[in-house]
Amino acid sequence: MDVLNPMTYDAEEDQLRDRTKYSQMDKHIIPVEFQQQPVSTGTTIVAVEYDGGVIIGADTRTSAGTFVMNRFTDKLTPLTDQIFCLRSGSAADTQAIAQVVTYQLDFLSAEMNEPPLVRIAANCVRRMIYQYRDDFLAGMIVAGWDKKLGGQVYSCPLGGLLVRQPVTLGGSGSTYIWGYLDNNYRPNMTKDECYDFVLKGITLAITRDGSSGGCARIAIINKDGVERIDVLGNDLPKVFDL
Amino acid sequence: MGDDILSYNGGVALAMKGKECIAIACDKRYGVQNRTIATNFTKIFQYSDHCFVAFCGLATDVQTVSERLKFRTNLYELREQRKLKPNVLYNMLTNLLYERRFGPYFVFALVVGLDPKTGETFVYDSDNIGAISDNVNLVTVGTASEYIFGLGELFFKPNMNADELFEATSQALLNGVDRDSASGWGAVVYVIEKDKITVRELKGRQD
Repeated sequence: MDVLNPMTYDAEEDQLRDRTKYSQMDKHIIPVEFQQQPVSTGTTIVAVEYDGGVIIGADTRTSAGTFVMNRFTDKLTPLTDQIFCLRSGSAADTQAIAQVVTYQLDFLSAEMNEPPLVRIAANCVRRMIYQYRDDFLAGMIVAGWDKKLGGQVYSCPLGGLLVRQPVTLGGSGSTYIWGYLDNNYRPNMTKDECYDFVLKGITLAITRDGSSGGCARIAIINKDGVERIDVLGNDLPKVFDL
Repeated sequence: MGDDILSYNGGVALAMKGKECIAIACDKRYGVQNRTIATNFTKIFQYSDHCFVAFCGLATDVQTVSERLKFRTNLYELREQRKLKPNVLYNMLTNLLYERRFGPYFVFALVVGLDPKTGETFVYDSDNIGAISDNVNLVTVGTASEYIFGLGELFFKPNMNADELFEATSQALLNGVDRDSASGWGAVVYVIEKDKITVRELKGRQD
């Protein structure tokens, strides 16, 4: 709908639609069936720090308008061995940013002869988003483990902000679980408590948000490396049956 | 979800014909663009012992058109002192929709019916301005209709019995809505035979 309705307004989706709209003339020439909706990972992404590492999670749906293009997407993209980014917003934009930053970090680690810090990876992502802020639609979370500061989560939302947070959410589905976070997150949770928190949050968002769905992909990053867990539909925790 | 009025609330329905039985099914989602608000919004309404209609599209029009049609069918039954036949119901519906030809309701409809004496089956669909269709084997309406059509054509066989028909309809619906973010969150399937009507609620993926 063209009218801004605050209850259902989703900034990312709306801007995405405007940016990639065909010119007004094309609208009359191209038949409605062929007018494409942009591909977005309208999504739910969650990242939380615990003592010794980070736990990150995302849903697995990529949609173009209402069509579900991919039911089992992987939105947890490695930037280095122990730093991951979580992608939300335009699928093309976030994939491009992840590719460029992976190259930059690879080059950097060759120069410095040691793995890059999480903050540096987050800054590379932030720099790209800020530089192309008028063109990109990318909200990303960078999370990982390094020797200096342990597990860290950095949020790099739409305009090009960089901020470290102990726990953060992103994507269109995150709006439904901020309340859940405020109620259920406590500092210094154990690894298992954080895992349950992430999984439950994603499940709740999947249930309510149309742009999130599929299964939950979770990764645990600590000094020993990365452990990836895919929780399929039947194994998601039971939430209130609407 | 875009500006499309027909995908503002989402939803989907399908109907299939069998041997002296018909199945009609719909999803249960009520949402506003991305957000799912309820999962108990069924889109199938009963107008006579063996006549059912499913409406898909803008939720307010689903409610309004179903109620306005009920008004007309009630009057028919009072005046004629007999129950509606499916083809009569279908013609009443298309007439109701065409009355609003230049300011239409945003609902697409499916009408199904069975004649309990002869076992003759009726499955029709209509667009939002009352276009009349033939009595066909398989119909689908809604945001996921293209995906369900493909599966429906695959699973459909002529002259299926009630159990096979239920399986075919449910599988086509449940798997089709997996590719649509505006439908799903459970389903209801009605299987209508000469002597009984079976209603089953399916759980499905809640995403």
